[in-house]
Amino acid sequence: MTKMKRRTFVGLAAATTTALSMPSIAFGALPRVVVIGGGAGGATAAKYIAKDSKGAIDVTLVEASKRYYTCFFSNLYLGDFRAYGSIGHNYYGLAVNHGVNMVHEWALSVNNAAKKVNLGSGESISYDKLVISPGIDLKFESVNGYSAEAQSKMPHAWKSGTQVQLLKNQVKGMKKGGTFVMVPPPNPYRCPPGPYERVSMIAHQFKKSNPTAKIVILDPKNKFSKQGLFMEGWQKHYPGMIEWISAETHGGIKKINAATMEFETDLDTFKADAASVVPAQRAGRIAMNAGVNNGDWCPIVPASMQAQADENIYVLGDASIAKSMPKSGFSANSQAKVAANHIRGSLTGSKVFTPRFANTCWSLVATNDGIKVGANYKATDEKIDKTSGFISKTGEDSNLRKATYEESIGWYSGITSDMFS
Amino acid sequence: MKSKSILLLIFLCFFLTNKLYAEQNQLVGADADYGEHLFGECVTCHNSTGLGQGIPKITGMKTSHFITKILAYKTKEKENAVMQMVAERLGEEEINSLALYLSKLK
Ligand SMILES: Cc1cc2nc3c(=O)[nH]c(=O)nc-3n(C[C@H](O)[C@H](O)[C@H](O)COP(=O)(O)OP(=O)(O)OC[C@H]3O[C@@H](n4cnc5c(N)ncnc54)[C@H](O)[C@@H]3O)c2cc1C
Repeated sequence: MTKMKRRTFVGLAAATTTALSMPSIAFGALPRVVVIGGGAGGATAAKYIAKDSKGAIDVTLVEASKRYYTCFFSNLYLGDFRAYGSIGHNYYGLAVNHGVNMVHEWALSVNNAAKKVNLGSGESISYDKLVISPGIDLKFESVNGYSAEAQSKMPHAWKSGTQVQLLKNQVKGMKKGGTFVMVPPPNPYRCPPGPYERVSMIAHQFKKSNPTAKIVILDPKNKFSKQGLFMEGWQKHYPGMIEWISAETHGGIKKINAATMEFETDLDTFKADAASVVPAQRAGRIAMNAGVNNGDWCPIVPASMQAQADENIYVLGDASIAKSMPKSGFSANSQAKVAANHIRGSLTGSKVFTPRFANTCWSLVATNDGIKVGANYKATDEKIDKTSGFISKTGEDSNLRKATYEESIGWYSGITSDMFS
Repeated sequence: MKSKSILLLIFLCFFLTNKLYAEQNQLVGADADYGEHLFGECVTCHNSTGLGQGIPKITGMKTSHFITKILAYKTKEKENAVMQMVAERLGEEEINSLALYLSKLK
């Protein structure tokens, strides 16, 4: 008994010393981390900070929704390779397995000086370190004629949710032999191969039920991610169905009309029977509110993901300028682990390891035809620099393509369990 | 003579019963905390709950088996673009730390 008491006493003394040696933290209270946004970046960060600190850090995750539908694999839902329910996830595991305090509300503003996050309900939460991973907002005005009203006739479906279901309905209900118009966003945007995977999955639908349908891509760019691989796949699986028109060729989209479904370009006016328009993007609004942006995106310190504008705030995922990493769920997950390790180090004195970043993006072109691109990155003073990488090759063996698709299913199960369980 | 062979026997027994110890001792520079940190990179794809769908399960892997596989990806003897890229930047310290951590996972 005396032994026990003594041990408890020693433990307490040690904890007290640590707490005292940490500036800005009230005596006896645990250091507090607030994470805004429970997506690929935020859910991962909340989990790793809570899990690795083993109760030494109080973690609160502020996420507006109770259920997170991944954008990744939403294209596979369009192609009937996934049920919509299978890409929805809840926050039960974060709360129950890791003790994360879940607050399902909108974060409205950040008071950097007082280190407080103000919530929609009028409550506020204090933090020692704040993580912001709000994903993207859409710049509707970047496409003349597009708007939040027009999105129901020409869904962007770029933030998952009902927009994706709406788009699928419109694709399936499109008249026989009709034309689908896809307008991808300009760089930089969330998921560089995403629009082209979407076209592949829509073509896959049409091949089954509307084989004379056409898809026209009016691109604001002159080249795109995995271009050679997608073009080869379209030729092979959907010959004559898909026409990609570069900015150089159409001369720019001058105006779109959601009522008449017309797309006016220098080259021609295209009439659509169904369409998807993905406008330009910027960091989620809360990042602007916290003042950690420079223009549309947030500059970060590559080694830690700290905002350049405020060392107590970390910005992850799509909202950050993490070049040369693409804006992807994989990237956000990788950045979150670097930030979590750094935050824990600065709050509890735990070891901070050399940051390591990685990304791989899989895309599905047709049944059992998966392709991938990936890279390793390291932090330099200026950026997150690519150190090596790979990309699938054209003309690859069909067994390899099938294995790549199966690998993507494994990745989906891996990353979502890494984020939520 | 007799005492010498007894000594040898004792030594042998010691050696055999401590095979595991010896195995772990070969893990030059291994640090389980570093291994746990690096493991974060694995579980983006390899399901941490051990589900091996599309991507093999790595939890509960034997130390020697893990090291052999990683080295085969590193030398590009074994095919898989993602794993070759992962293995490429793992040095001895990283591989041994991961091996040590993995051996401690159930
Ligand atoms: C069609 C498509 C396909 C894709 N495919 C892939 C793929 O195959 N692989 C891949 O790696 N990536 C893919 N992506 C990209 C991936 O979805 C994003 O890069 C990733 O989700 C970014 O993570 P994040 O944490 O930055 O933002 P998100 O995952 O969007 O999370 C942001 C969260 O923050 C919440 N939020 C925002 N503001 C507030 C606030 N003020 N208060 C409270 N909550 C807030 C939102 O509700 C949301 O849940 C795809 C994207 C699309 C559109």
